[in-house]
Amino acid sequence: MLDYLYDGSFSGYLTTLFYAYPLKEEVRIYKELTYSPSLLTTSKYITTEEDKSERVYQSILTKLSYSTLDNLYNIYLSDEVESETLGLKYIKLCYHYGDDINLAKNNDIIRTVDLTCKRVWKEVHRFYGFVRFKEIGPLTFYAAIEPNHNILPLMMGHFKKRFSDQNFIIHDQKRHCAMIYNQQEIYISYLSIEDSHQLAKAEIRDNFEELFKTYYKATTIAERKNPRLQNSWMPKRYYKHLVELD
Amino acid sequence: MDLKEKLRILSDAAKYDVSCSSSGSRRKSVQGQLGSTENAGICHSFTPDGRCISLLKILMTNYCIYDCAYCINKRSNHVERAAFTVNEIVELTINFYRRNYIEGLFLSSAIIQNPNHTMEMLTQVVKKLRNEYHFGGYIHLKAIPGASEELIHEAGLYADRMSVNIELPSDASLKLLAPDKKKEEIFKPMKDIKQNQLMHLEERKKFKKAPVFVPGGQSTQLIIGATPDSDLNILSLSEKLYQKYSLKRVYYSAYTPVNKGKNLPDLISPPTLREHRLYQGDWLLRYYGFKANELLDEKHPHFDTYLDPKTSWALNNLHLFPIEVNKAPYHMLLRVPGIGVRGAQKIVSSRRLAPLQFDDLKKLGIVLKRAQYFITCNTKYYGIVDIDESKIRRILTPQTMLLEENNPYEQLSLFSLNFLPSSNLSLNQPLNKSTILLEDTPTALTGEL
Repeated sequence: MLDYLYDGSFSGYLTTLFYAYPLKEEVRIYKELTYSPSLLTTSKYITTEEDKSERVYQSILTKLSYSTLDNLYNIYLSDEVESETLGLKYIKLCYHYGDDINLAKNNDIIRTVDLTCKRVWKEVHRFYGFVRFKEIGPLTFYAAIEPNHNILPLMMGHFKKRFSDQNFIIHDQKRHCAMIYNQQEIYISYLSIEDSHQLAKAEIRDNFEELFKTYYKATTIAERKNPRLQNSWMPKRYYKHLVELD
Repeated sequence: MDLKEKLRILSDAAKYDVSCSSSGSRRKSVQGQLGSTENAGICHSFTPDGRCISLLKILMTNYCIYDCAYCINKRSNHVERAAFTVNEIVELTINFYRRNYIEGLFLSSAIIQNPNHTMEMLTQVVKKLRNEYHFGGYIHLKAIPGASEELIHEAGLYADRMSVNIELPSDASLKLLAPDKKKEEIFKPMKDIKQNQLMHLEERKKFKKAPVFVPGGQSTQLIIGATPDSDLNILSLSEKLYQKYSLKRVYYSAYTPVNKGKNLPDLISPPTLREHRLYQGDWLLRYYGFKANELLDEKHPHFDTYLDPKTSWALNNLHLFPIEVNKAPYHMLLRVPGIGVRGAQKIVSSRRLAPLQFDDLKKLGIVLKRAQYFITCNTKYYGIVDIDESKIRRILTPQTMLLEENNPYEQLSLFSLNFLPSSNLSLNQPLNKSTILLEDTPTALTGEL
């Protein structure tokens, strides 16, 4: 068995797919950073090549479809176990049977792909709501999140559209990167937790945080208490950054 | 009184309004202005009762001129009273929105002075938000029954959704519990909103820039269990509302006893199971192509406690089943218990490539526990009992309920002392668990013990 490693970028992933696709041997794909070597397999690092990645990109777009490419991108962003390897199997399946194989919802690979994409987008949708901004300067806001999947790239459009007249930073503390918007352009860049402490240090007493807590308490109907239902909508792993809960 | 106190009182007073949705509106966001709407709606938090916080749901004031028996804010109740100013509401909304706490504002009010005055006050708030602050978030506004048509029309130009709460499902119950309100007054604003919507849709076909009117549609709310209305009455009313006024949603609210009164029932806990069944029925109307009179009739005016509405319908119409999953049309697949909208879509999608096997169905998310008795797969029937109403009903009824019914018949064991005449004490220990569960059931259904 062979393990292919890539640098963590989408182009890197596509390049890896380019080299892994024609092999008869079973290949598994991992990010270099999180890879732990094993005795039974040999590993090989694939250097990102823009032209190869572009070829794969265009080929999927023209020979398969946009939605297949979209699925592959979501798989790449997901942090499910072996998701990159799943992407390879998915692409092989699609090229073998044609794009219509996506209709076969009973196929195990298609089913796992659908499930993975669903999980990623479910988390994106949850975080449209669960991001809590804190005012760190006039019209400048900071929020920390710790999502399961790498969802920042998928959230950019929504937040840019919504808060187009304020500056904001949404910080993915798990992956040390942040979405930054300065009322003109939006981009994702590296941000360590230490840097973010510096940012959030400007401890402005946010009166509205208190008000929101009051609102949260007052709007609960005590007679209908149902913590199981609450947890199923808002799992406990997200509680850390939600200001109204403590 | 400071802002925090006011917020506490007036959000507490507004919490019995069930509607929390922020969906259905496609307001275009403008670069450089605050706010956007999401078609699917977004929940921002969830309170310990499991309901979501999507909008900042507050009353403008809870000083009321009416005296409706079921309402916590009725005139004769001694509760804390407060009133927001326009600026306070605007400030709260904008600042909560900027911190991504909320999706927008849900503004309602008790009736101060008269309906027209109240409606005017509400309109002032939304006008300020939209015109001065260029707020593009979601706004849900109450249409006050009895307010003039012009006022409602003006408010509708700024709101995403409007709602009029019917609260009580029949004229008789309205007379009993809300003697100040009239049925016609409640339906009048609904009709106005519907007509205005149609008018503006027509205009938009001709002029691209014609203003939108209540793009998120209108909704209403009914209280369940405060009056003796049957499920059939309630569901037929909802059906009419969906057809006649093209409502987006009808909400059902299990009656929570906040007041005591001679016309009100004495409930121990809210009838949440009944509320749940009504919601299931409501979904069947809106997404599954059922009619109210298919689900319930004069002989059975209430939903089955043990079985969900679709399963009881299927059991009463067993002559239509089993259906072949590889052949049946989509609308028929939707009628099978255990197959939902997504499941039916996946079946239709997958069988285009190859016929489905029975094992595949589980992978598509079909609930075989219920579906197996109503389908065949490649002409083979896989149910573990014959297609027979009583047999299927028995197997689908939750086990705890069955135990109670079978109380007189009991498996005798050599070691149980039951057969001894002297031991008529409660030795049948295994039953205890089920009786505990059962005590809950009738309460959840009717609210009474």
